[in-house]
Amino acid sequence: MKLNYRFLKNPQYIALLKEGALNTLIITFFCLIFGFLLGLIFALMRQSKVKIFRIIGAFWVDFLRNTPFLVQIFFFYYGLPVLGIQTSPVITSIIALSINISAVNCEAIRAGLMAVKKDYFDCAYALGFDKIQTIRYVVLPISLRVAFKPLVNNFINLILTTSTCFSITVVDLMGASKIINGRVDRPFEIYMMLLVMYFCLLTLISIISKAIDKRIAIKL
Amino acid sequence: MAMIEVKNVTKQFGDLTVLDNFSVDFDHSGVTVLIGPSGTGKSTLLRCINGLEKIDEGDILVDGLSVNNKKNLKQIRKTCGMVFQQTVIFPHMNVLDNLTMSPIKLLRMSKAEAEDKARYYLDKVGLASKEKSRHNELSGGEQQRIAIARALMMSPEALLLDEITSALDPEMTREVLNILVNLAKEGVCMLCVTHEMSFAKEVASRILFMEGGKLVCDVSKDDFFGSVREENERINKFLSFIGE
Amino acid sequence: MQDVHTIGKYADFAVGDIRTFAEACGVTLSVTLLSLLIGTVIGIIFGLIRCSKNKLIRFLPLIIMEPLRNSPLVVQLFLVYYGLPVMAGILLKDYTAAIITLSLNTAAFFGVLVHNSILAIPVSQWEAGYALGHGKFSTFINVIARQALRLLIPQAITLYIGQLQCSSIVSLISLRDITRVGQLLSVRTMRPFAVWGIVFGLYYLVSFPLARLADYLAKRIDYTY
Repeated sequence: MKLNYRFLKNPQYIALLKEGALNTLIITFFCLIFGFLLGLIFALMRQSKVKIFRIIGAFWVDFLRNTPFLVQIFFFYYGLPVLGIQTSPVITSIIALSINISAVNCEAIRAGLMAVKKDYFDCAYALGFDKIQTIRYVVLPISLRVAFKPLVNNFINLILTTSTCFSITVVDLMGASKIINGRVDRPFEIYMMLLVMYFCLLTLISIISKAIDKRIAIKL
Repeated sequence: MAMIEVKNVTKQFGDLTVLDNFSVDFDHSGVTVLIGPSGTGKSTLLRCINGLEKIDEGDILVDGLSVNNKKNLKQIRKTCGMVFQQTVIFPHMNVLDNLTMSPIKLLRMSKAEAEDKARYYLDKVGLASKEKSRHNELSGGEQQRIAIARALMMSPEALLLDEITSALDPEMTREVLNILVNLAKEGVCMLCVTHEMSFAKEVASRILFMEGGKLVCDVSKDDFFGSVREENERINKFLSFIGE
Repeated sequence: MQDVHTIGKYADFAVGDIRTFAEACGVTLSVTLLSLLIGTVIGIIFGLIRCSKNKLIRFLPLIIMEPLRNSPLVVQLFLVYYGLPVMAGILLKDYTAAIITLSLNTAAFFGVLVHNSILAIPVSQWEAGYALGHGKFSTFINVIARQALRLLIPQAITLYIGQLQCSSIVSLISLRDITRVGQLLSVRTMRPFAVWGIVFGLYYLVSFPLARLADYLAKRIDYTY
């Protein structure tokens, strides 16, 4: 059988793919921000001196990492309306995926924070830096460098995972492809195209991030 | 007025009393060496002077400023530079940036001026060629010498040195002590916790012997290794034990 | 107003649902275990080829591994389930398509773990083996592989847990695994919190002990060279 990509000439499908790409981008963008912030909050909770915070943080991470994302997103999709909360599928996806990604981000950030031992604080304080300055000039630059690689990995995973959001009717790249396939019935061509698109994008991100990591990496 | 006045300081870690109603004064000049068995509060005393540990009772005044007031800590730490046993050269910047960071951020010194000053001190500790190096390219001894230079960058009135050679092998210890001897000869005021008696004999002007959070004796170097040693059984035992 | 028919349709839990869940657990576990088994075997082969001295041979597995690692699993599954039959003319059952996709996906990630574990053993260990008179193969089996295995196991368990979560994807080709049954029941009973609570619990029950085991093993082997 020959590959047939004629359907790409139909502007209607191109528009659909564009819409899908936009939604994938939107979900990725917001999840990147919220996922990082949530991850930071829970990382700080897990490092906190208050026991109850540590327990909540540990449970949060454990739970999210030991249950499938698909179940999590269905939980919100079917659960939120029962609570009387009506949102769009895109927003539901952003909520579910931000929460999901926060667990792995939490672990990455925590590893970064733990890399900054007490000696670093002593040295910075003795040089005259106060707590805020120490965090700004010493703790953050070091921990973010240590956390960079795992955070990029999580980012790549995030992009991969956005493709499951079509299961709650989001028209992302995958959702758009599914709709197009429903009309032209060229599954191999469409999904192969999608696979190559994701592959190229993620390979590009990997290459760029490795170049950045090489520049900023520190050996502790 | 003495530069550092330690007044009736008590410091406890849990049930352990590390400093017990401790009082002593330090002047602007000379090298004072604190010796004594491990765990007798020598390091804690230095850390308290620099405001790294909160004191439970009493007060420490540095140039008249109390360490109990958090607002004074910045000035106190500028007055007293400190180097630790486990010093870290910040891993995310090179040696030169390690030295210039605090004067640029805290004293608003210009970059060019800070770098000139940094090169001057790097030269002084014999590491002028290492200004672009990273922490993992330096030996332990080199790291301590850079830490000394980094502390000097803030132009402190005194250097607090907390067992800075304890983690080093003999050769590196020697190279660090040589730097300290040179600094002492140039008149830099130092307060050192050390087990290096040869160093104490060479440059110390005053020796404090501490045990159990209390001051056992506070004498000149010559008296310490002379009459005090002969008279005080405990000190003689300690010095023999560490091989003097 | 709800008529009798609708009420019947949105029925509450029934005894039969327990069986449905049990069967779903069977599907999830069999899909996961089978694909992990196949994936591990292929992954080891990939990993060993990646350790070859020949640059070209070393590169070959990447042609399969990299696209698998850098594209969404759903896309891979749809490509196999919907695309392959059209392209190659073979009809695949949903179960087979799920196993093929998950196995290959596992293999790609497992290959990387195997490769990294072997690379993590320092050259001095190889030299020590040679010095004792072992050949290349014997050194690998007796010296390198054993140490690499200790590094590999905790990471493999973590990967397995991840793949168990990933197996939920098969519900999207209507295979009746736990997730799919949860979806059907949550619509039927209109009690999403109870249903998804059970589904969460089932996955968690399997994953959590494994995760703890991986942590424990990882801490125990924490030796540095």
